[in-house]
Amino acid sequence: MSNLSDKIQRKLNRKISRNITCREWRCSIILEGKVDTWEDVYLAGKLAVNDKYKGVVNKIEVEGLDVPKIKKPLLEDKYLLDKEIDVLIIGGGVIGSSIARELSKWDISVLLVDKEDDLAMHASSRNDGMIHPGLAPKPGTKKAYYNVKGNEMYTKITEELDVSFKRTGSRIVFYNKYMRLITPLIKARARHNGVKGIRYLNVDEIRKEEPNISKNITGAILMPSAGILSPYKMTIAFAENAVMNGVEISLNTIVSAMEKKEDKIISVSTNRGKIYPRVVINAAGAFSDEIAAMADDQFFTIHPRKGEAILLDKKKGNLVNSILSNPALFKIKNTSKGGGLVKTIEGNILVGPNAYEQPYKEDFTTNKNSIDEVLKKHLTLVPKLSSMDAITYFAGIRAATYEEDFIVEKSEHVKNLVHVAGIQSPGLASAPAIAVDVEKMAIEILSEIKNIKKKSNWNPIRKGIPKLNLMEYEKRNELIKGRPDYGEIVCRCEEVSKGEIIDAINSLVPATSIDAIKRRTRAGMGRCQSGFCMPLVAKILEEESGMNMENVTKKGIGSEIIVDETKKHRIEGRGKHESL
Amino acid sequence: MNPYDVVILGAGPAGLAAGLQAHKSGAKTLIIEREDKLGGILKQCIHDGFGLKKFNEKLTGPEYAGRYIKMIEDENVPIITSTFVTDVSKDQDGFKLSLVNSKKGVYEIHAKSLILANGCRERTPKQIFIHGSRPAGVYTAGTAQYFVNILGYLPCKKCVILGSGDIGLIMARRLTLEGAEIEGVYEAKATPSGLSRNISQCLEDYDIPIHLSHTITKIIGADRVEAVEISKVDDRMIPIIGTETIVECDGVILSVGLIPENEIAESLDIKLDMATKGPFVDQNLMTLEDGVFSCGNALHVNDLVDYVSESGEYAGENALNYVKNIESKKERKLIPINYEKEKFLYVVPQFIDINSDNKRITFYLRSREVRNNVRIQIMGNSEIFFDKKYRFLKPPEMERIEIDLTDINHLDAIEVIMK
Amino acid sequence: MKELTCIVCPTGCLLKVEKISDEWIVEGALCPKGKEFAINEMTSAKRSVSSTVKTTFKNTPRLPVKTDREIPRKLIFSLMEKINEVVLDYPVSTGEVILENVLDTGANIIATADLKNKLQEKTYE
Repeated sequence: MSNLSDKIQRKLNRKISRNITCREWRCSIILEGKVDTWEDVYLAGKLAVNDKYKGVVNKIEVEGLDVPKIKKPLLEDKYLLDKEIDVLIIGGGVIGSSIARELSKWDISVLLVDKEDDLAMHASSRNDGMIHPGLAPKPGTKKAYYNVKGNEMYTKITEELDVSFKRTGSRIVFYNKYMRLITPLIKARARHNGVKGIRYLNVDEIRKEEPNISKNITGAILMPSAGILSPYKMTIAFAENAVMNGVEISLNTIVSAMEKKEDKIISVSTNRGKIYPRVVINAAGAFSDEIAAMADDQFFTIHPRKGEAILLDKKKGNLVNSILSNPALFKIKNTSKGGGLVKTIEGNILVGPNAYEQPYKEDFTTNKNSIDEVLKKHLTLVPKLSSMDAITYFAGIRAATYEEDFIVEKSEHVKNLVHVAGIQSPGLASAPAIAVDVEKMAIEILSEIKNIKKKSNWNPIRKGIPKLNLMEYEKRNELIKGRPDYGEIVCRCEEVSKGEIIDAINSLVPATSIDAIKRRTRAGMGRCQSGFCMPLVAKILEEESGMNMENVTKKGIGSEIIVDETKKHRIEGRGKHESL
Repeated sequence: MNPYDVVILGAGPAGLAAGLQAHKSGAKTLIIEREDKLGGILKQCIHDGFGLKKFNEKLTGPEYAGRYIKMIEDENVPIITSTFVTDVSKDQDGFKLSLVNSKKGVYEIHAKSLILANGCRERTPKQIFIHGSRPAGVYTAGTAQYFVNILGYLPCKKCVILGSGDIGLIMARRLTLEGAEIEGVYEAKATPSGLSRNISQCLEDYDIPIHLSHTITKIIGADRVEAVEISKVDDRMIPIIGTETIVECDGVILSVGLIPENEIAESLDIKLDMATKGPFVDQNLMTLEDGVFSCGNALHVNDLVDYVSESGEYAGENALNYVKNIESKKERKLIPINYEKEKFLYVVPQFIDINSDNKRITFYLRSREVRNNVRIQIMGNSEIFFDKKYRFLKPPEMERIEIDLTDINHLDAIEVIMK
Repeated sequence: MKELTCIVCPTGCLLKVEKISDEWIVEGALCPKGKEFAINEMTSAKRSVSSTVKTTFKNTPRLPVKTDREIPRKLIFSLMEKINEVVLDYPVSTGEVILENVLDTGANIIATADLKNKLQEKTYE
């Protein structure tokens, strides 16, 4: 044990618990023991962070707390058995999907796997859709680097991939005139990180841009490069383009073990059979530490940081024009931004998110106190908004390491493994830039094993499902003439046609559940929250895909929407009745 | 193309009645319906109890709708189905509507008057702040009803019902008859929301317990509902900490209120009454926007479809009168109808047009609380127009009152008083 | 003494019914139907039942039906069994009898919607 780990151990014993031990392993520090609360686990991890260590591996347990294991898909078959592939990407969020697109440029076989029934079911569909400008991350971090680079790339990418994107700019609002004094500090940080165009807005300017903003606002800092898009539509767009160019995607596929030989991964076991990849990319989000452990290369631990957000009715959408952030940037915990109000690309107002540590990596439940707190904190920014405008709320889990920075690197100990882990915010903004670097790394590793070249016919252009209700009538009519089902409105709150729903079911990453159709078309996201359209969407799914209604699910096997056909079985009488 | 005199949005009971009346009175009429079949929500309301006042019979929803559909067919009232109104705006003729369907694509029609008969939607679990996970198996009662009655599927095997509104009670019985088990009905208020006879026919008949002053505070289950957390609530309907119990079930049916659909009204900047969530109207059911009328559940949530049809008829009749008098452009003089908000949930209409030729006014109102032995008086300028004693007044049971102000030409305001 | 809510009409009178020396005494009824109802409830409760029947028609898998008169309450679930056996494979009109004299009650199961009309694609303009 070195001096440093001794020192840390003593600090932990003193500040948190005597039941914690630490030891060094490779370049990391491993914490073990038992404490009373999750807060202690988190604090211990934070205390152990040190520049001298590559990462903190936190194995401390909480007395009496049983953290559930990773939720496994119910599917079990041999579909992928003995498959040999060049690159295996583990994780179908925006990170894995953007990497798949980059790799699809090459004449290689790529397989992307995700344990859920659809892509983007974890963090990638549970965030505010903001393409951050890159101001918040600490200078010199990977976050700062990838955020700024990625942000710039979105103009071209969203055009190529037919994803709606708006650079609305983001505004950190000030509540008193003294806050203006921080402007030079912010500008310095911006310069450091390479963020362009930052400037101060005085009260008249901010009121002009956001006429409904609270009278208490004295000014704001504008970051013009910030933008908004739909993060799950972006993920799906990346993936569809990848599939267009030859990438295979296998959903409901979970990696359970890896076999190594001479510091190389030779096989990966899944519930669909054992695969033989040449290169493995760990883009497994909140579970990226567990994937690393399978390759005996866990040098970090993910501590799941939960956040909740609320969506307000589109009717009030005109009260906010862009992104308004509450200034918690100045709390020097660069771990979470202050949250605020975001005018989403679809026209709703998103409120939040908040951030708090908790032990569950897949707990997407919302709770009243959290939601109330978020509403209370942010709704004052625009007084005409009220909690009565809320139409839905949701939660997400950030995959944060204790070092609070991205891990984007070739494994130091496993020759054919690349880690893309700990991608918390600004992960969405950073994704395209991360993907480019990961492509390089993967290709470097692969080139040593075999001769590879780029495809000559790589097609960067992907067309999404048409949004008829936003089109000019002429164009809309053209489409309806060619396909009458584009003229039949199924979801009346969001004006989504039968044709669009059919497109989602038949797309390159087909929607096979109600939620998957919702993510691709918005059917069910309106004010009645699928009250009217869910049975209709289910019927279309039944007709188009050949499923039986009994197999139609909300989000994959186990979430079937109905239990049975009526009048199939005998009924037992109840109450004041005779039974036969 | 010449504008229609009256265009009606919705072919449920309100829209069908309105269209029938307008057409029979000679208006160039069109009814627009977004579903492929007529009848609106009545198609799935297969239980009886409809039409006692209108037809003096106890009909089921489909039968009631069928009567109107037959009249529509016999009179050849123009109707288009599977057609969605994507935009409405004012223009020199009155109104321009953009419609979309699979046959014609997007196209425009013009109308001199509009009748909004779009009905209502159900309050969602998010709107009553139910937290927890988002499993399959959580349905509003109307959606569950569609699955069972129209498509023939059971949404759950053992469920809890939140809300003792009529739809929830009807579904409790329906699901039981189709083989599901209702663990119980939970109601946050201290009194049931639905009609007493439904408590009797739907719950007591089947030994389904109703728990008043209780609510669901959490839904449990990652993929499919596994259980709910139930809490007792205080008299402000706030959950009392420490009273939580877990009830196992595989479905949650919510019957927590209906909200009139007024997106189109709002897009025309028509003011809505927060008490009804429907537009402010005068005795002719015309909203504060000249030429736009409202009827049925879009105006306020009714409990009897007979009154829905009645309001549709009024709207149809008055819309044509309006169109006939457009040239003479008699200005409305709206005087307010005042009532105590603590005593009444709402009173419709909210205004009287004292310049109108029609001064026969039909009031629809609801008491805020259950009251015994009260008196309702309607007066204006110290004159009493209506005075009646009531044994019971209950919020779920709407009252209908008619007064005739035909000879009255001067009024400052009307007061509706409960003593 | 039993408390009942009358279900004959939407008024829903609260009735109190008691048997006093072989006679049923009913309080609270605002009309004679209520009195009749209360006595029936205590001696042989009757209900009308509405439900749906299966059909072979893809676009209308269920057709709403009802009993054309009230049947003894205790037979409701047996009635459901009979209704559930039906698989309608021909078009019917509102009021048409689908099951005659179910369970010997004298009540018929009749259609409450037109299957004919639903099957025909009809545009009214």
